Amino acid sequence: MSKKKEKEKKGKEKKEKRVSEITRRTMLKISAAAGAGTVLAPMVLTSRKSTVYAQGTVPEPTPPLCNQTGPAPVSPATTPFADMMPVPNAAVPKNLNPAPTKEANVANGEAPRADHQRWEEFLPEVNYRLEARATEFQFHSDLLPSYIWAFNGKYPAETVLNNYGESSLVRFKNSLPDPTTSFGTPALTIHLHNGHTASESDGFAQDFEGFDTGFFKDNHYANRYAGIDAFGGLGDPREAMHTFWFHDHHAAETANNNYLGLNGMYIVYDATDPGHEFDTPGSLRLPGIYGKTDIPLILSEKRFCSTPSNGRNELFQVVGAGAPAGDKWTVNGRIQPKMHVRRRKYRFRILNTGPVKTFNLKLIGPDGVQKPMTIVAVDANFLRQPTDISATSTPSTLDVFVAMRFDVVIDFSQFPVGSSVYLRENQAQNVTAGGPALPDPAPGLPMVNVLMRFDVIGDAVIPDTPPIPNTLCDLPPIPAAQNSFTWAFQLLAGQPNPFRINGLPFDPNRVDHAVLKGSSEEWHLRNDTLPGAWVHPVHIHFEEGRILERTRRINVGLPTETTINVPLTPYEDSANSRRDVYPLPAQEAVRIRLAFRDFVGRYLIHCHNMNHEDAFMMVRWDIVETVAQLQETRREIAERRRALGAPPLYREEVG
Amino acid sequence: MKRRALFTGFATDKGPHEPHVASPGAALFTNALVRTHENKQVRFYDDLIKGRQVVINLMYATCEGLCPQVTSNLVKVHQALKDRMGKDLFMYSITVKPEEDDPAALKEYAEMHRALLPGWTFLTGEPYDIETIRYRLFRMDHIAIDLDLNAHTSWLRIINDGTNRWLHVSPLASLYTVVQHISWANAPMSFQERLEANKKLQKQINEQVKQYGYRRSV
Repeated sequence: MSKKKEKEKKGKEKKEKRVSEITRRTMLKISAAAGAGTVLAPMVLTSRKSTVYAQGTVPEPTPPLCNQTGPAPVSPATTPFADMMPVPNAAVPKNLNPAPTKEANVANGEAPRADHQRWEEFLPEVNYRLEARATEFQFHSDLLPSYIWAFNGKYPAETVLNNYGESSLVRFKNSLPDPTTSFGTPALTIHLHNGHTASESDGFAQDFEGFDTGFFKDNHYANRYAGIDAFGGLGDPREAMHTFWFHDHHAAETANNNYLGLNGMYIVYDATDPGHEFDTPGSLRLPGIYGKTDIPLILSEKRFCSTPSNGRNELFQVVGAGAPAGDKWTVNGRIQPKMHVRRRKYRFRILNTGPVKTFNLKLIGPDGVQKPMTIVAVDANFLRQPTDISATSTPSTLDVFVAMRFDVVIDFSQFPVGSSVYLRENQAQNVTAGGPALPDPAPGLPMVNVLMRFDVIGDAVIPDTPPIPNTLCDLPPIPAAQNSFTWAFQLLAGQPNPFRINGLPFDPNRVDHAVLKGSSEEWHLRNDTLPGAWVHPVHIHFEEGRILERTRRINVGLPTETTINVPLTPYEDSANSRRDVYPLPAQEAVRIRLAFRDFVGRYLIHCHNMNHEDAFMMVRWDIVETVAQLQETRREIAERRRALGAPPLYREEVG
Repeated sequence: MKRRALFTGFATDKGPHEPHVASPGAALFTNALVRTHENKQVRFYDDLIKGRQVVINLMYATCEGLCPQVTSNLVKVHQALKDRMGKDLFMYSITVKPEEDDPAALKEYAEMHRALLPGWTFLTGEPYDIETIRYRLFRMDHIAIDLDLNAHTSWLRIINDGTNRWLHVSPLASLYTVVQHISWANAPMSFQERLEANKKLQKQINEQVKQYGYRRSV
C-alpha cells in the first residue's frame, strides 16, 4: 500500500472512531436522560460495530503471518540488558455499569452462566474490569512492536491485588477482533489459577460459549480460604494461598491465546503476607511492597518473524497448530531485561506462563558462582519451612514448569554496589540470531543462558526486612481419603488423539469422575509415557493437594521391572508444602490427597503444557452436592465409558 | 446467507458485497490439484475451502483400530448436520497414504462406511502435495508424533475460511460435542442474534441447575 493511501486509510479510521465515540457518548447521555429503562440501548449500539471500528486502531497483520509454511524463523538479534524490566501496574478498581448481578445479566450483554454460588454471602466489595483487545507491544527496544492480544492493552496484564475476606469481581470484556487474521480464537473463558472459585467463575474450558466479541463475563472471586463450610465465613486460614494468575482457558485454543498475551497475575494478601513490611500482628515480614521489593517475574517464550512486516516484528505462529517453540525468553514481557536493585532482600513471584517451555533457573553472582535463592512459597502456598535452591541443593535449579509459581527471596546485601547478578536459564536462547557469540557477562556464564540481570545500584533505601522466619505457616492436616482414584496420562503411539487421560481425549460434555462436596479423596497421578518422553505438569483446578509419595517404574518391560520411591523435594513433600501443579516425568507417579469443599460444579484436571492440553490431554470432573447425585453421575460415567469401549474407572464395576 | 451479509457489512464498511477476507488463503492451504473419490480434479483452496465452513480429517483406507470408529462417528455428524451439508458446510477426508489410496479405493472405502453422502468428499493427490497440505493443516509440534500417521487420523479441523476461525475437536468426543464445536465456527452472529442465542443458552443452564444443582452437560 502506498504511503498516501495508508494515510487516507488512517484518516478515515480516525474519523470513524470519532463518529462512533460521539454516537456512544450521545447515546449514553440520551439513555441517562431517559432513565434506567434504556440501559440496554448503548450496549447494543457499541457492540459489534464499535469493536470493529476499534480494530482499525490496531491493524490486523497483513500478510497474516510470517513464513508460516516453511521452517520456523530465527528471531532477530536483540541487545542484552538494553531495557529495564517493567513491572505490571496494580489494576485499579472500577465501578461497573451495569452493576454485577447474581444471575447472568444476559439481556445487557453478559455471557450465559449459572448463578454465582454463595453470592449473598460474599457480595463483591471490589470490582475490576479487564478488557481483552488487540494491541501492539514492544518486547525489546531493538524490535518493532508486535501484534498481541492483551487485557486493557497491557502485557502482562495489570496485577489484580486483593485481600482475604474482601470478595472481588472481575468483569472480563471481550473486545477482540472477530474475524481475525491472527492465530488466536476470539472467544474467551478466563481461569484463575488456582482460585478456590465457584465453577461458573472458574473458566471451565467450554465456557467461552456466548462470550464472543462485544460481550462480557463477570467472574466472582470470594477471596476466602478453602474450608468455608467447616470454618465459617473466612475459611481455614491454614489454606492460605497468595500468588495466583489468570489466563484464557479456551478448549483446544489455550496455547495460542496465551502466547498472544492473555494472562496476568492476581495476588491475595492476608495478615501473614500483608502487602507491606511493617511489623503488624501475624506478618511474616517478607519483602512485600508490590512493585518495589515484591516483584512478579512473569516468564514466557516467544519467537518472532525474521523480518518486519507492516512496521512490526510479528510473533511467529503457524495458523491452526499449537504455539511454536520459542527462541526468546521474556520476563514481564521483555527479552533479557535488567533490573535495578539495592542491597537488601527482595521477593520475586516467579510465574511460568508457558505455553510449553520449562524454565530451570539458577542465581549466578558476579564471580560466576551460583548463589542461593530461598523458596518461601510454591504454587501460591507458603512452605512450612523455607528452603534454598543452591549449588548444593537437589535439584540445584529452580524448575519452573508451565503454570507453576515459586516465590523466592534473594538477598542482594551479599553483593557489592556496582556489581551485577544474573538469573541463568538452562536452555540457551537466541541472542545474536546466528551472529558471533557475545562475551560471557560473568565467568563461565554464556550470554545465551542469561534470562535477566540485576544491577546492584546502592545500599537499601527502604530498610531491609528481618531474616526470613524458620517457620512460615501451619499446614492443615492431610485429609483422610474416602475414596481413591487414578488419573493415567498417556501417549498412545499409533492411535488417534494420542494425548489421553484414562484412555480418552477431552470432551467438555463428558464427566470422567464425580466427587461429593465435603469429601476427600486420594488421587494417583501417573505418567504412563515411555521413559525419556515428556514431563507432564499436571494441574488440578480448585483445590490444593498434598503429595504423599512419588514413585518411578524402572526397567519397564523387562523381567527386572520394578517400582522405586523417588525422594520428595521440600517444596513437594506434604509435610512442608501444598501444590496445584504436579510435574510428572515419564513413568513417575504421585499419590496425593485432596478435599473438595464449599462449591459444586465442573472442574478440570489437565496437563499444563498448553500444546498438550490443546491436544485434548484434559478431563472434566464434577463436584456434586448429594450422595444420590454422586451415585447417579458415577453410573452415567460407567455407562458412557462402556459405550466408548474405554476401561472402567470404578472398582465397583470391576469387582 | 443473510446473516453473513449482515456481518460482513459491519466488518468492512464497504457494503455487504465485498467480503472481508481474513483467511491466509492459498498461500497457506495451497492450490494443489487434488482428486476426489469421484476422480474429479479440483484445486484445494479455490474449489474446496475458499469462503466455506469445512470439517477436515485425515484417514487412509486400510487404517484399522479406531479409524473405522472415527469414520462411523463422522457419518453420524453428517446425519446430524445433513441440512447444511454441501450447502454451507463441507466435509473433507484426506488420505495420508495417497500412494495407496487412488480415487477408486477412496470411493470403495466411502461406500463400505456408508459415507457416500452429499457434501462429503474424500481426497487424494500427489504425495508431495498431500504431505504439504497435511503439514500445514495438521502439523504437530513434536516430530515423533508428527510422523505418526495414525496419530493424525482423528483430529477434526473445523475451519471457517470466511472468518478465519479455526477450531479443533476429537471425533472420539460425543456427537453432541462435535456438532457443538462445528457450530462454534459458524459465521459470527450479529450482536442481537448472539444476545438471543445467549438467552436461550441461559435458559438451558438454568434448567440444568434446577435439575442437578449445577451446570451439567447434555
